[in-house]
Amino acid sequence: MELLTDPFFLCIAAILVLAVLGLPIGLSMIGGSILYLLLNGLDMGIVAEQFLNRMYANYIILAVPLFILAAEFMNIGSLSDKLLVWCNAVVGRFRGGLALVNVLQSIVFAGMSGSAIADAAGTGKMVHSLMTRDGKYPNSFAAALTASSAVIGPIIPPSIPMVLYALVSDASIGYLFMGGIIPGVIMGLSLALIIFYKAKKHNFPVEAPVPLRQLPKITWHSLPALMMPVVLLFFIYSGITTPTEAAAVAAAYALVVSIVLYRSISWRSFYSSLVVSSKTTVSIGMLIAGALVLNYVVTVENIPASLSAVLTEWNLDAVMFLIFVNVVLLLLGCVLEGTAIILIIIPVLVPSAAALGIDLVHFGVVAVVNVMIGLITPPYGMLLFVMQTVSGAKLKDIVSDTLPFLAVLLGALMLFTFVPETVLWLPRLFGYQG
Amino acid sequence: MAGLIQLGRWLSKRAENILALMLGAMFFAFIIQIVFRYVLQLPTGWAHEVSAILWVWIVLFGAAFVLRDRDDVRLDVVYSAVGNNARRVMTVITALAIVVLLATALPAIIDYILFMKVEKTAYLKIRYDYVYSIFIVFAVVTVIRYIWRAGVAVWGREEQEETK
Repeated sequence: MELLTDPFFLCIAAILVLAVLGLPIGLSMIGGSILYLLLNGLDMGIVAEQFLNRMYANYIILAVPLFILAAEFMNIGSLSDKLLVWCNAVVGRFRGGLALVNVLQSIVFAGMSGSAIADAAGTGKMVHSLMTRDGKYPNSFAAALTASSAVIGPIIPPSIPMVLYALVSDASIGYLFMGGIIPGVIMGLSLALIIFYKAKKHNFPVEAPVPLRQLPKITWHSLPALMMPVVLLFFIYSGITTPTEAAAVAAAYALVVSIVLYRSISWRSFYSSLVVSSKTTVSIGMLIAGALVLNYVVTVENIPASLSAVLTEWNLDAVMFLIFVNVVLLLLGCVLEGTAIILIIIPVLVPSAAALGIDLVHFGVVAVVNVMIGLITPPYGMLLFVMQTVSGAKLKDIVSDTLPFLAVLLGALMLFTFVPETVLWLPRLFGYQG
Repeated sequence: MAGLIQLGRWLSKRAENILALMLGAMFFAFIIQIVFRYVLQLPTGWAHEVSAILWVWIVLFGAAFVLRDRDDVRLDVVYSAVGNNARRVMTVITALAIVVLLATALPAIIDYILFMKVEKTAYLKIRYDYVYSIFIVFAVVTVIRYIWRAGVAVWGREEQEETK
């Protein structure tokens, strides 16, 4: 019975109930935190203090609206279309060509939006409709593949989830970005393996091959779009700008390329991209702010230290801890959206990871991969629902077509978990001391 | 009543204009910051400050005046699975809960923000109570909005759009 009068328990219960009943998650967290302060007789002005000071002082979060803006500029500036043409020219020629295009575009676009949900609903939707046009591919297979390949987006830089992880862990955003590259490519290749197998078995169509002679020309045309992640990483690693400023450079780059090279932006589309981006910014911003306020409560309650103590008691070593985290995050992915998990749950785990000697860049990449895979883990995965809406296929069919992809992605996750070099090799090459 | 709704729509469009403008300004402040520091070698603390203030304002102003529920990050497994009457009950419960909680905290929130008048931002020397005042606006508007939502859920017609 003691539990029922415990303010922290009631705070968490209130948040869960409000969120399940449909209140926006950010607002639910603010409400729960107010309840906690009220029950403890603390100053409720702390809600405003935590919200405002932390939003104002955390310079790194400003990268979030800038990446959102960059992605929007890419879309209206037809950079996205150029990339799609390039992907098709490169891998469309193989059996199951469009399926491979789907994967390749997730890797190069990842580059852009930094959000799996946005990838699936935006460019993913485009590729999905290409795949299902004229009944080339089964609808549910195309939907399952689009959901699975969208998982890769936030692993490869730039990535909003990585920015949020950097925010809660103080790990270097630059090295996190670098650490995601190889795992992202490995995940893409493992999806491609399944496609090769299925393409043989079901005799998937081949696209009319774009003559290799034209490849240099097409590459040249889409080069400005392809260069975007390179530009971003160059600005971060050369130390010319801070990572946050590099996000602004990426947005400016997309804008300039669209205006000067592709001449595809009007004032109207520019304005509407600001409106769309600002709405996304507000909804993610409220989620971040709610999580920051709740983190104050979690810190006051000393939850990370208690968890660390429990884990020590269990004699958990680093490997067991990572397995434990893997399982917990996959399960949480069933009920929570990715951003929320990274902002609320990860901060509780980070001190334990550090205490066990796990490298925080390694931990971050594994955690983000984990959370993203959680988005396609049945029965409840946000990406599965997005693709159900987009495709109109039955959820049951999408789920069963997702299983082979899910299996190889989980295999890749295990690889990253147990072989830290898969993540850390590239950052170390660029001088990461960890 | 119809006139009121029309006015509401007009105001909502203007709020959207302002929000988009703030995001554009924030982006621009970043560009200035980069150009000033690396090209012209001029100090840029002020531009940094402008973008941080705008970020706080974008989120709170947008949450108060622009964002609709469907734009927001929500768990809608239950909400989308149940019928209309259940939805109304859920809306009333959550709306009343957030109204009571925010309204209870409001005096303390106002106290905190008024207290911040003693400090000024580092570069532009703007009083913090001005910078942070948007939180009071957000809290008050959110309370009013959710009272309205609860009212619509109880008395309103089905699928009535949230106006304001």
